[in-house]
Amino acid sequence: MPDKVRVAVTVNGTAHDVLVEPRTLLLDFLRDELALTGAHAGCEQGACGACTVLVDGEPTRSCLMFAAQLDGAEVTTVESLANPDGTLHPVQRAFTENHGLQCGFCTPGMLMAACALLQHTPHPEPSDVREALSGNLCRCTGYQNIVRSVVAAGAES
Amino acid sequence: MKPAPFAYLAPRSVDEALAHLAEHGSEARPLAGGQSLVRLMNTRLATPSVLIDINRIDELAAISRENGTVRIGAVARQRACETSSHVRDGVPVFAEAVGQVAHPSVRRRGTAVGSVAFADPSAELPTALLAADGEVVAASTRGERSIAADDFFTGPFTSALAPDELAVALRIPVSAAARTGSAFVEESRRHGELPMCGVAAVITLDDDGAVAQVRIALCGVHRRPIRARDAEAALLSEHPDDELLQAAGALAASAADPVGDCHGSAAFRRHLAAVLTRRALATAISRAEERNA
Amino acid sequence: MSYKYVGKPTPRKEDPKLLTGRAGYIGDVVVPGMLHAAVLRSPHAHARIRSIDASAARALPGVVCVLTGAEALEHINPMAAFCAEPVPQTAIATEKVRYPGEAVAVVAATDRYIAEDARALIEVDYEVLEPVVDPIAAMTPEAARVHDTLDSNVVFHRSLDFGDVEGDFARSATVVRRSGRWHRMCATPLETAGALASWDPYTGAMTVWSNSNFYNFLPWVFAGILGVPTNRLRLIPCTVGGSFGSKHLIMQVVAIAGALSKATGRPVRYLEDRFDNLAANDNTGPDRHYDAELAFSPEGEMLSLSLKIIDDYGAYFQFAHGQHGNAMAQPTGPYRIGSLRYDVACVLTNKVQQGFFRGAGADPGNFILERLVDAAADELGIDGAELRRRNFIQPDEFPYKIPTGNVYDSGNYAAVLDRALEIADLKHWKAEQERLRAEGRYLGIGLASCQERTGYNASEWWFLYDNPPLPATSTPESVKLQVDAMGGVLVELGCPLWGNSPETVVSQVIGEEFGIDPAGVAVTYADSTTGAMSAGPGGSRLTIMLSGAARGAARTIRDKMTRIAAHAMEMSPDDVECVDGTFRAKGAPGTSMTMGEVAMRAHLFAHDNPEGESSGLVDTHTYDHPYATPPNADRTDMGAFYPMVSHACHIPIVEVDPETGRVTLLKYYAVNDCGTIMNPPLVEGQIMGGIVQGIGAALMEQYEYRDDGTLGTSSLREYLIPTLNEVPDIVVEHVQTPSPFTEYGVKGAGEGGRLVAPTAIASAVSDALRPLGVFVDELPMTPERIVAAVQAAR
Repeated sequence: MPDKVRVAVTVNGTAHDVLVEPRTLLLDFLRDELALTGAHAGCEQGACGACTVLVDGEPTRSCLMFAAQLDGAEVTTVESLANPDGTLHPVQRAFTENHGLQCGFCTPGMLMAACALLQHTPHPEPSDVREALSGNLCRCTGYQNIVRSVVAAGAES
Repeated sequence: MKPAPFAYLAPRSVDEALAHLAEHGSEARPLAGGQSLVRLMNTRLATPSVLIDINRIDELAAISRENGTVRIGAVARQRACETSSHVRDGVPVFAEAVGQVAHPSVRRRGTAVGSVAFADPSAELPTALLAADGEVVAASTRGERSIAADDFFTGPFTSALAPDELAVALRIPVSAAARTGSAFVEESRRHGELPMCGVAAVITLDDDGAVAQVRIALCGVHRRPIRARDAEAALLSEHPDDELLQAAGALAASAADPVGDCHGSAAFRRHLAAVLTRRALATAISRAEERNA
Repeated sequence: MSYKYVGKPTPRKEDPKLLTGRAGYIGDVVVPGMLHAAVLRSPHAHARIRSIDASAARALPGVVCVLTGAEALEHINPMAAFCAEPVPQTAIATEKVRYPGEAVAVVAATDRYIAEDARALIEVDYEVLEPVVDPIAAMTPEAARVHDTLDSNVVFHRSLDFGDVEGDFARSATVVRRSGRWHRMCATPLETAGALASWDPYTGAMTVWSNSNFYNFLPWVFAGILGVPTNRLRLIPCTVGGSFGSKHLIMQVVAIAGALSKATGRPVRYLEDRFDNLAANDNTGPDRHYDAELAFSPEGEMLSLSLKIIDDYGAYFQFAHGQHGNAMAQPTGPYRIGSLRYDVACVLTNKVQQGFFRGAGADPGNFILERLVDAAADELGIDGAELRRRNFIQPDEFPYKIPTGNVYDSGNYAAVLDRALEIADLKHWKAEQERLRAEGRYLGIGLASCQERTGYNASEWWFLYDNPPLPATSTPESVKLQVDAMGGVLVELGCPLWGNSPETVVSQVIGEEFGIDPAGVAVTYADSTTGAMSAGPGGSRLTIMLSGAARGAARTIRDKMTRIAAHAMEMSPDDVECVDGTFRAKGAPGTSMTMGEVAMRAHLFAHDNPEGESSGLVDTHTYDHPYATPPNADRTDMGAFYPMVSHACHIPIVEVDPETGRVTLLKYYAVNDCGTIMNPPLVEGQIMGGIVQGIGAALMEQYEYRDDGTLGTSSLREYLIPTLNEVPDIVVEHVQTPSPFTEYGVKGAGEGGRLVAPTAIASAVSDALRPLGVFVDELPMTPERIVAAVQAAR
């Protein structure tokens, strides 16, 4: 096996200094090494967006990036959104208030893509949401309530 | 769906990257945005034993305009091209094409040079580069050379790059002529997918409204992106009307030699080549006329 | 009837864990010592396995075990099947592979990466056989055979007449004939199927975590495959990332994990990747060729329907012809059609087999019927809405027995149609259609009025056989309700969380029965050792069945508490009522006991309670299918088996580009009647989600097997499901006709969107292209098919 790579990475505010196998996908690093299971493997080919996390603030498909690439990076996952006391993040609250989720498997990816959008565009129109989330598949909701949720989250802030 | 083992190298300079490439040659693959390569690695259709991550080479991130040319560095993101005024104003056909690549989240990571070097015969950017008469700047420890887009794409997922060469940039001439218009149109099965067929057209009209220059390129209809040279020849010096555009479409279709798949048969792709060539030309011409106004 | 919580938009209880990444899907479950499996799958559609060399794979560091099909059979048994015909299937192929993607060998290793490294080292020597791809050709005697145990690839053929078909056709004035084609699709939940099996060699016990459903319905099926005693098997449910019918049994996945766990003595997790799921999910949808005829009287009255169907079942026959049993619930739709001929041939080919996917066989049934009605409207020169209205079963005719014997409980189809026509702003869209046609553009307005049979009965898997091995099943659902000593309410479900809202629904029902806030009701999930009979989500049944089970349990506990409270308050139980969580004297609310006060007496002070009341407050209530009658001997009457029938009318607006074949949905109107609505946002969510899956079925979803039998759609870049960009603004409204057969009058709503949208969109595209002479008779309407139809009509 090739040499492991040393990576200093901050995940949800916690600094990690780790050795990773070069081929370890960011998705598996988060799930298997850090036990952060919010990002999901839906296709492992970048087609579904269920594994979306933020890398240095940018929405990123964690199945198409290697943990070895993360030296110096800051990663944000869905686990960072709610407060430890159970208070939901405004985007999470908007999703539950607008029934923007059913099985929940795509939801963490949707939430992270929505957070990235709201950072650039705090009060998005439905068309902005459609554009920003177009690469994230959902098989349950029919999307309409997801768009409503993100627009509502923007309206609230 | 997990990649095979590989060694990971993260050079900080182009020279360092080229040294790695010279050492490892065809065993190595450069990693830019990874939106195509890592997908192939996960399915083990690509199994490089060395991955040379060029994302840390800051000098490759730039998009600049110099001497009538837009230069896009190897790790400039597609999203940056989409929003760059150099690209939008200087090479609108490329900007229009890049806006149709996949989805915004993919474009934030994926690079324009990477897409060109990947040489997917269905992809938008190789075709746009071809229509825009661009070139690929290839570097190796042996030196640097430019490869015209016309000579770059040699087959499906293969290019004129040597195993030790890195595509460090695209250089695309700015379309400066007054009455120049362009269009990139495509049809895909689903928004964000690779098109069944895409057409890039760049056209310049003379003062009389006759075609002074025209370049038409297509994707999805051949083993590599192609120019529709017969269609270009038929248009040159003519005053384009509906009938001529229809004929140009038919000529473009006859240049096509598509490979069918689950999204569209060869015959259907050829049909789309005719329709979309006609439409791309019509849009490009009306834009050229607007630009005169 | 007015309710306090039933019918109200109660917040969804399931959400917080799903929103925060704590759902506990099968991929999240980790057990110490766990190994990871990868499966080597056949690239060939049809081949004999000459030999398998796994020596290099076994030698790879980190690899614990490699099993071939034959080796796996030392640990597990062949897969179960509900068919009467000899169509054996093993989780891993033994002598022959029968579809591309069939498992050939499995690996267990210390991580998934290494398991996949090992998989790449396994060498299989195949003798490639002629692939059976085209079901029509497969029916001929000279065709290569998928199974040597059968005389023909036609595994099942039956033609049934219900009513006087010959007579009705003879006296008809017009017969409208169309052929129809519905291609193979699949559920494609974003989460694939997976199982983690942990075998204890010392007790012979097996524990399996999975995202399957039938662990409290058919646990003995799993035990049989795994080769463990039924009382030594514990099946633990996980939160499920969507199923849409595709994860009821997932026998292959459970069997592979189980075989590897038994072979290694360690826990093994096998989680399908997307390729595994698309190629080998064992649960694709129908793949049908229809020849259909609808006979009309001179007055435009529908007399009789004749359906001749060839259905490509793929390589195995796990649920037998169940998808046609299902379709028998509503083949004649919402119409007064007097007789039916149903002729079905199930054909085996070298493809992944059918199972269940949202619609379960009734989906193409709705498609062909509504296409016939549209064709009839054209041929008879009667407006489509008017033709439908003229033939609807009328509100005063319920319960209504259709020719197959199934019974429809209630409905008001004209009211649904009228409301849909009202909200769809047809004046605007017709003007728009005219304006665009003048510009050479093609806008279409679709219409479909369809049934959604809800509350299934599993008898449909076998009741087309003459001598079924089993009578009609009760297909039950159970909940266990406890009120603790402090009055805390806890419900344990027998079903899993599959993406619907069982926690919310039971909490609403319990809240309703006790008058307490549903938010305070705690809900957990039983495993197979603790749960009572529960068939779980499927066939649009869960809200119906959970309402019955939860209400039954609540009433038992409430009655007991009423008796205890009455005794303590020295009153007759008849004079005590439970209001807002308080037991009080009817008419004299001053005298009362809280739930906690009653519960403490119930738990600790039985001697002070009325004679015969044992300690504690716990009840498991099993609610059986509320209305099922058996089929008769000659199958001229299949019995009532799917009698809670919802209804919907959809009106999609599309624009079609006839040159490129692109279909753009501009707007979508739907009016739905699923009886009493338990929770409006949740019902709307089901409808909208179903409509969008229907958009997929209408426009893009299809398996492609190439001429050589290999699979062309093995990833989500080839098997396309809708994205946000394909979805228009969807307007949903309701009519509520309560069911007389169920608690609160609820009917199901889980499949309705997908049962209607495909045929509604086909209607819209046909309407758009009517000036060009195109009639849509094949789904999905890919760009290529549309352009071909336009060219053919020229």
